[in-house]
Amino acid sequence: MKVDIVVDARYKSCPGPLLALAEAVMKASPGQIIMLLATDPGAPRDIREWALNVGHKVLNIEKADETYQIYLEVSS
Amino acid sequence: MSKISIIVASEKLDKLLPAATLATTAAVMGWESEMFFTFWGLLALKRDYEPKEVSSDYKVYEDYLRRAVSSGAMPSWLEILEQGKKTGRLKVYACSATMSFLGVKTEDLVEYVDGVVGAASFLSKAKDSDINLFIS
Repeated sequence: MKVDIVVDARYKSCPGPLLALAEAVMKASPGQIIMLLATDPGAPRDIREWALNVGHKVLNIEKADETYQIYLEVSS
Repeated sequence: MSKISIIVASEKLDKLLPAATLATTAAVMGWESEMFFTFWGLLALKRDYEPKEVSSDYKVYEDYLRRAVSSGAMPSWLEILEQGKKTGRLKVYACSATMSFLGVKTEDLVEYVDGVVGAASFLSKAKDSDINLFIS
């Protein structure tokens, strides 16, 4: 997957990862793909809920060691 | 659009952090979000106020929380609030009665305060909220 922006929010607890991602989305363009790196165990569900509310699309969530890689496509 | 209203009645770190987290997360999720700072909560809106203490019952955990904030693992309550304000959907109100009895003037308050209001004004703003919380 082609990633346009990487947001590293590892070792940040809630609401750090979501706020970091939301800030990146504000600066991003529609169609861009953001990869969020997070270790907060609540992050995957939180990001999914948030994306549902605001209309962005979670493409995939992977986990390597303790790090989640959350792929988000920015909507218009 | 969903809406949350939070009454904040404490200036302690362990109350301000969850209050700011919920208010800002709601705003970032596209919700309307309102905070009303009353009684000791109002102290947190004074310029240069930096919360360092937790509630007295939980003193034993104070260092854990301070360390989480100072290491950057947890954002400070002001950083959280500022991001909520950036959305334009988070409103912060100061309680007028508390300002009177504490002798706090409008110019003593941080600039992100949207207004000084009384109980009736806040209630009428909050009455159509989906979620109402009182944090003290």
